[in-house]
Amino acid sequence: MGPLSREAWAQRLGAFRMSPSTFMAGAESEDLGRDLLSDLRNEKLSEPTKVSLLALSLEYPDKLWPDALAAEAAATFLLDTLLLLPPRPSALRRPLLLAATTTLLVGGALSPTSGASCRLLPLLLGLALGRDVGRGFGPTSEQRLLQATACECLRELESCKPGLLRGSLGLLRSLSGQAGPIQPLSMLLALVLRNTLVVQSRSGAGLQDLLVAGVFSPGGGSWDWTLAEEADDQLLPQTPSWPAAEKEPGLAGLEPSPEEARELRAAVAQLLDTSYLLTTVAQAQLLWLLGWALRGLRGQSPVIFKPQLARLLGTAQVTLLHSVLALKAAFGEALFTAQDEALLLRRLTLAAQHPALPSPTHLFYLHCLLSFPENSPLGLEGEEAAPLLLGHQLCRSLMPDLLNDPMAFLARLHLLCLLCAEDEEQEKGQVPSPRQYLLELLAGLRQRAALDGSPQDLATLCFQASYLVASCLAMQPSVVKPLIHGLSQLYRARPLLAPRFVDLLDRVGPELGRPLKEVLWQEVVTRPGKGEALCCHLQILEKVAEGGAHRATLNFLQAAAIHCTDWGRQQALLRVCQALLRTGGGDGLADLLQGLARQLEDPDGRDHARLYYSLLVHLAGPKLRVALGPSLATPTLASSLVAENQGFVATLMVQETPPPIRLSVEPHRAKGPLPMLQLQVEVLDPAYSLELRFCVQGQLYAPLKAIHIPCLCPGRPAHPLYLPLQPRRPAPAQLHVQALYTTPTGLTCHAHLPPLTVNFANLFLPFPQIPKGSERDFFERLWDSCLPKGVESCVWCPLGPQGLEALVSHHLEPFVVVAQPPTSYHIAICLPPDSMLLLRLEAAQVDGVPVVLRTNDWDLLPLAGDYIRGLAAC
Amino acid sequence: MAQRAVWLVRHEPGTPVCGTVRFSRRFPTVEKRAKVFNGASYVPIPEDGPFLKALLFELRLLDNDKVFVESRDSCSRINKTSVYGLSVGGEELWPVVAFLKNGMIYACVPLVEQTLSPRPALISISGISQGLEFLFGMQDFLYSSQKNDTELNTKLSQLPDLLLQACPFGTLLDANLQNSLDNIGFASVTQPQKQPAWKAGTYKGKPQISISITEKCDLEGIMPNVTISLNLPTNGSPLQDILVHPCVTSLDSAILTSSSLDTMDDSAFSGPYKFPFTPPLESFSLCYYTSQVPVPPILGFYQMKEEEVQLKILVNLKLHESVKNNFEFCEAHIPFFNRGPITHLECKVSFGQLEVFREKSLLVWIIGQKFPKSMEISLSGTVTFGVKGHNKQPFDQICIGSTAYVKLHFRILDYTLTGCYADQHSVQVFASGKPKISTNRKLISSDYYIWNSKAPAPVTYISLLP
Repeated sequence: MGPLSREAWAQRLGAFRMSPSTFMAGAESEDLGRDLLSDLRNEKLSEPTKVSLLALSLEYPDKLWPDALAAEAAATFLLDTLLLLPPRPSALRRPLLLAATTTLLVGGALSPTSGASCRLLPLLLGLALGRDVGRGFGPTSEQRLLQATACECLRELESCKPGLLRGSLGLLRSLSGQAGPIQPLSMLLALVLRNTLVVQSRSGAGLQDLLVAGVFSPGGGSWDWTLAEEADDQLLPQTPSWPAAEKEPGLAGLEPSPEEARELRAAVAQLLDTSYLLTTVAQAQLLWLLGWALRGLRGQSPVIFKPQLARLLGTAQVTLLHSVLALKAAFGEALFTAQDEALLLRRLTLAAQHPALPSPTHLFYLHCLLSFPENSPLGLEGEEAAPLLLGHQLCRSLMPDLLNDPMAFLARLHLLCLLCAEDEEQEKGQVPSPRQYLLELLAGLRQRAALDGSPQDLATLCFQASYLVASCLAMQPSVVKPLIHGLSQLYRARPLLAPRFVDLLDRVGPELGRPLKEVLWQEVVTRPGKGEALCCHLQILEKVAEGGAHRATLNFLQAAAIHCTDWGRQQALLRVCQALLRTGGGDGLADLLQGLARQLEDPDGRDHARLYYSLLVHLAGPKLRVALGPSLATPTLASSLVAENQGFVATLMVQETPPPIRLSVEPHRAKGPLPMLQLQVEVLDPAYSLELRFCVQGQLYAPLKAIHIPCLCPGRPAHPLYLPLQPRRPAPAQLHVQALYTTPTGLTCHAHLPPLTVNFANLFLPFPQIPKGSERDFFERLWDSCLPKGVESCVWCPLGPQGLEALVSHHLEPFVVVAQPPTSYHIAICLPPDSMLLLRLEAAQVDGVPVVLRTNDWDLLPLAGDYIRGLAAC
Repeated sequence: MAQRAVWLVRHEPGTPVCGTVRFSRRFPTVEKRAKVFNGASYVPIPEDGPFLKALLFELRLLDNDKVFVESRDSCSRINKTSVYGLSVGGEELWPVVAFLKNGMIYACVPLVEQTLSPRPALISISGISQGLEFLFGMQDFLYSSQKNDTELNTKLSQLPDLLLQACPFGTLLDANLQNSLDNIGFASVTQPQKQPAWKAGTYKGKPQISISITEKCDLEGIMPNVTISLNLPTNGSPLQDILVHPCVTSLDSAILTSSSLDTMDDSAFSGPYKFPFTPPLESFSLCYYTSQVPVPPILGFYQMKEEEVQLKILVNLKLHESVKNNFEFCEAHIPFFNRGPITHLECKVSFGQLEVFREKSLLVWIIGQKFPKSMEISLSGTVTFGVKGHNKQPFDQICIGSTAYVKLHFRILDYTLTGCYADQHSVQVFASGKPKISTNRKLISSDYYIWNSKAPAPVTYISLLP
């Protein structure tokens, strides 16, 4: 794209500013940064246009040059442009310096290896120190302005890379006593001084003559990149927030020598002495900076700030008074005696209401009063409280009245509440008492909120004030009682405020909530209404109605049903019924619901009524509550109907959940006519009425019976479970397990457990009724009976170090028929339904034993082989 | 101690968005620090569009704000300062300093140099007061001597350049933006040493001092030191609650402590009140004070009673004999709130003329330059009202039923109620050359209400003061 005209640029910049993200997503986006740079050297464009281009680069460098490489290139270009400017006065030099600084900082390109950084830093320092920085750098008339700008740029660099200018501290100090713009140099010096103190203290190094003038080398070398190189989290808060800052170790690590301490004191004193020459905002910055810098530093007394205080206390400039408060927080008693504290509070109280000051300032000072950093605070940290020294007299001058704007009113009301809370005992004699006044105020607010057509703001204020009073003075019946009465009157006058009452009931504690519910209920059921008022009544009733007792509620609903002609009102009515169901139903409710199921015009309403009726008559109380309770299936949907429906679905249908237990198969000594699986249970979540269902793949066994357990709780020992197996064929199998159970909240859940494996050995049974004394004959008979239908095979059974005897006793003990330990064993295993496995283990060798086996079932052969070969490994 | 961004938003009720962003400026180097300091609680500065929407919603300035929105209006969401949290893109941008003045919303987001959760107390965030000062500075710049929209637009168009001077990196250097404007002009002047940063240049012209006690003090010329004394006559009411301009270099402790919060006694400090200062170039308010004069300048009562369809009113006013009976103007405004237009009026005044604004339901009693010899005047009559028109007649949240007031507007030149005056000869100027010194005084009514004695007035707490 060629050079753009002024208008074209104005249009393009306008489009960009409208929405940078949209613009950058468009086609033109890529060229913007490039065009902007090249047009800075376009001689057809005027300087103001170029300044506005630079202004854009000051605001959005990250959009124009998103990475370090692009930022480095852009900064280089900006610096080149600066040098190319003709030596006459130009409005571009300042913004070019600002833009180059911003671009390097934001693009993350500032580093000792960056060419642009290595050019910019010496240039800025040279300008700041008032040196000659070389050819064509503007006329002398511009030098002072550029000097100031360079100081600001260096200050920003030092803010983002603390410690960068540590080496130039002495130079800056020597300069600030001489000529030069006082504010930029003072502010730069103060920041570098403070950062140096913190950095040196953290590294445990002393001040190392840093305060004494260094030598200026135009080639650089006075930059300290060590910290700048480190990660960004090395940033130092310039004005740390207390109380967090109070917990910091401070500058304890710094132990300046007496010489250094003197030098430091002189530097700070010099800055403070000339501070009156700075603008008020800069003075405030200086005080924050130096105050927190010297806090806790050995050999530096905060008294050095004292001469400034009297001057500052006379003004009500918000930044100045704020900085005095910061000094107060930093030094406490060391700088402010009790009398000083009292005076500060006086000035603050005065400023918080002075007619010459604007409302936001009043509000800020009121906040400062309630969060005042006291010398000896009594309350909890972080909790708003009236400072002790504020005293009743000052407090009372800040009493709210109805003419205050809402925020000032609430702040003052809070103070009044604190006063009432404190005064509970003392004020009996006073007429009128602060409490009386408080109640009058609340009455005034309610009167305004009750006014027909009064703006929402008034209602908001009324309810916020009521909430504030309720939360501060909930324990004082003399306040709560009239408040409740007044609120019920307000509701009577303006039922349209129902949503706010519901909100209030949701927020306040039981001291106000319970009696307020009661009076609102009274208010509703004794004054049935029509139209809008009815909607409001239903809304309130939904919140306050308690099931079980009130005939009056049911009568009200019965009467209201006639007026509920549209869907919305019917739903509101049904919501009240639902609330009653949830809190216990009550005798007449079933009749009411049955009536509604017939009577309501809207089919949806009728359906709901019918549903509630069925739920009421079929479900027991706890289950009913759960069924109607808020859906557990988050997230909640916007529509109440859907949400409600979800609640039913959740409760009346079975939920799929992760398993509440873990099962494992335990080794088990076989007994009885059928193989039995012993299962160990590990309980993860509580489960009631648990039913475990087992299903075997491929019909290898007869269908398995379910196991029922009434209750399982984590942490309580669980008994093992026994699962009888009825094999149709003697084969190992996988059992699929499902759990069906009820949660403590009453939901019915279903879970799939990991499958259980039935091993071949789990099916083994000993032969019953072996005649005593003729075991050998018995075995031989069995052995012979296997052939010719069956099969004989020979398998090598490897033995572990424990030998044959241990192997047999460990795995095959119940099935041994004839034994000649330790060398020979005859074993007979019965495998239901009608198979057998016979083993002869004889002539064991060191590493194994040959096993001759016979079975009447060919299919068993591979299983038996695997079993025997794997025995030693078990 | 820096700002991440600043906005000027024009509130335009009745338009689809209800406002436009007239000016905005972001400070990316500060933003970068915010990201590090705030850590996981960092919320980026939104673009102008979403910011505007969130701001208007939070300040309840959207046209459809008539309904209760729990997330904003809940009784437990109590905001007691001009600092807000704006919900933007599901996150909360905090702290946003904002206030509405003359249809313009001034807003900025100060840097907080720590994590935002839990939120630190506002008192411990230095950027809050700086943000307020910044916004006041912009407000002063936009509305000082500005008459119409064209001038406002001109001033708005100057803002980007001014901020390059006054706040190049988000750290405010001077809240007085006019100074920055002058600074550009003074750039070519070689300045002497120790030029205060708040003084933009040197004054070239005849030195002069003019003092005007409407709590206002004009003076020009570069002079290192001036001391002005305010004096009271022997029976004058002591000046209290004195706030001084930051250029005042020292203050007597008696001035610092004299306060309306204390009980008055004869020992109260009664001057002379000395203010040594180094003046800035522009005219400025040297000090503000309050005072408790024993009697109001105009005493009176107002009785209003509803009788069936009409109101019966009676107003009696009496000028105190000690007050100079020579007004620039004097009027009594009698508004009727929350009622329909005036349809019928039968009224008699003992002095002056009565103007009727029927649609606005307002009576203005023009008393003129002087009270009559008796010093006492009265108005009596009946007023009848029509049906309340929609939004045409004034609404008031205080004046409900018979709660009503008469408001007096007056100005007396060359007079102060306290008797306070500045003696030309007591002005000390420590500089070469003799400045021309002029002084003047005037008394202006501010909120001068006389409430209906036949109905409850808004509660005041005066009765509790001992």
